[in-house]
Amino acid sequence: MRLYLLPSNNIKNFVKKLAQDGSVYYPIFEDDKTHLIKFTEDKEFEPNFEKIRTAENIKHFFFPSRDVVAKFPKDSKVKAEKQYLFGIKSCDLRGIEVYDRIFIKTEPVDPMYKERREKTIIISADCPEPADCCFCNLVGVSPYGAGTCDINVTKVSAGLLCEVFTKFGEQVISKHKDLFEEAGKEAPKEREKTRKDALTELGKINSKPFKEDIAERIEKAGKETMQDAQKDCVECFACLYACPTCYCFLLSDYKKGKNIERVRTWDACYYAAYARVGGGANPRSDLVERFWNRFLCKFNYFNEYEGFFACSGCGRCYRGCSAKIDIREILWKL
Amino acid sequence: MEAVNPYYPIPIKIKEIIPETHNISTFILEGMPIQFKAGQFAELTVPGVGEAPFTPSSSPYADDMEFTIMKVGRVTGGLFELKKGDLVGVRGPFGKAYPLKDFKGKEIFIVGGGVGFAPLRSLFLALVHNIKDYKKVYIRYGARTPDDLVYWKLIPKWQKINGVDIDLTVDIGDDFWEGKVGVVTVLLDDIPVDLDKAPAFVCGPPLMMKFVTQRLVEAGFQHRNIYLSMEKNMSCGIGKCNHCRVGKFYVCKDGPVLTWDDVKDIEEPFL
Repeated sequence: MRLYLLPSNNIKNFVKKLAQDGSVYYPIFEDDKTHLIKFTEDKEFEPNFEKIRTAENIKHFFFPSRDVVAKFPKDSKVKAEKQYLFGIKSCDLRGIEVYDRIFIKTEPVDPMYKERREKTIIISADCPEPADCCFCNLVGVSPYGAGTCDINVTKVSAGLLCEVFTKFGEQVISKHKDLFEEAGKEAPKEREKTRKDALTELGKINSKPFKEDIAERIEKAGKETMQDAQKDCVECFACLYACPTCYCFLLSDYKKGKNIERVRTWDACYYAAYARVGGGANPRSDLVERFWNRFLCKFNYFNEYEGFFACSGCGRCYRGCSAKIDIREILWKL
Repeated sequence: MEAVNPYYPIPIKIKEIIPETHNISTFILEGMPIQFKAGQFAELTVPGVGEAPFTPSSSPYADDMEFTIMKVGRVTGGLFELKKGDLVGVRGPFGKAYPLKDFKGKEIFIVGGGVGFAPLRSLFLALVHNIKDYKKVYIRYGARTPDDLVYWKLIPKWQKINGVDIDLTVDIGDDFWEGKVGVVTVLLDDIPVDLDKAPAFVCGPPLMMKFVTQRLVEAGFQHRNIYLSMEKNMSCGIGKCNHCRVGKFYVCKDGPVLTWDDVKDIEEPFL
């Protein structure tokens, strides 16, 4: 993979150039939280590539919370605009990988997701300052982009060290090559240290790994154990809506004049009526069953089909939880 | 090639509505909007109300697609408001078909309860299409009362088909009912098939599924030969939305029919 240096002085110019053919979203740090905002010339440009992932999950860039997926009786196609996600973290890359598996790599392809995904260039950023909620190291995610992104950047003293992963990433760099410099020797060394430090910090935050056979342990956990784990849950579903890997959705139809719009909305498997059928039968009528099912879905079923956990270790579920239920504590106990 | 929109239902008109019971009707569509195989299901759209999963009750070889549906919820409520000539939408086919070729030369044992007999009718008609391929087709069908039996006009005709054996029961009889009385398991005291080889097919309400399956297992059917229609909340039909999951299975993709072998370790698989 090729390395380039984007000097600090050129970052704004680079974003400005990108914004000429699409929307550019970049991270800012405000009130103790990171957010992705859209670049506009009139706004002060103060990106932050070092703090942890955004407070909001980023799935809505591809899989919006409300999306018209079909029109009836005559359908129309979704057309997405080009967009650049600049500075997202590797935990969110895990989320995108989950969605790619579900919506593109598993037939039939979801045309809405595919259209948005193909129009998106992902420039991820290293995560050198993991926070107490982070546990990417426990679920097989590194604190830096190593795939799924087109380019990954690492903040170094001279600017951003860029590693290119795809031909689209290569095209972006070659189109604006006058803004980039050779990576040299110092910046890669700095990157190595940054990554080592981030991993060390993550090791301190999460010193205990999940057990090797965690999937089987979840399967065998039993209702009593899960009852104990969910006892403080107030069913606000924040954990599920904030999750960058949850992909449950519901289809509903709405009248729009003489036509019908089929709308897809995010759903949450904790809802009591989530699996209920027309006749009234409900396979998971108790919260404990639904709570348990979430763990099975992420660590057992998805892992069995795709070979990795549908969990990114981003900690948004813990941060968003009204009862401060920590998924790690539950898994460590199993 | 551009991806087809899997969420778009094909518009089609209702050709005829045949009332079966006070709350069950058969909706015949004007043609075959999708080509399905016995065992697969479709999502039926009631414009402006929503869509719900149903297995066709007609033969895969028929000219028109039919669904026999009970009025139970929001979507079916909307469907029962529609008239002949009104538009509905169909998406599919979804799920796996029955492996009919594996059943050649064998006895076939079909057990239906209430409106659960509707999807089994599609299987039955597919078998009848090549009836000589099978040793014998047994139907055991139970409903709550004689007035709740679906296809009561067709059943006498089916009974005359060579190679078909049909037995009926109702939970509660009436002055005119001369058949058996009792829940559908009363038809399972004597199962006249080679239990080691014959496949069994079950569809009905959750409790009926539970007790019939239990009876078939006790009788000695091979677990992998007991085919169970799973009624789950299939919203997308394409293995993405997650609503229909039972254990590791997506009922919409891996089902809608699973075998007892697949689900026997799941606690209350029919709920």
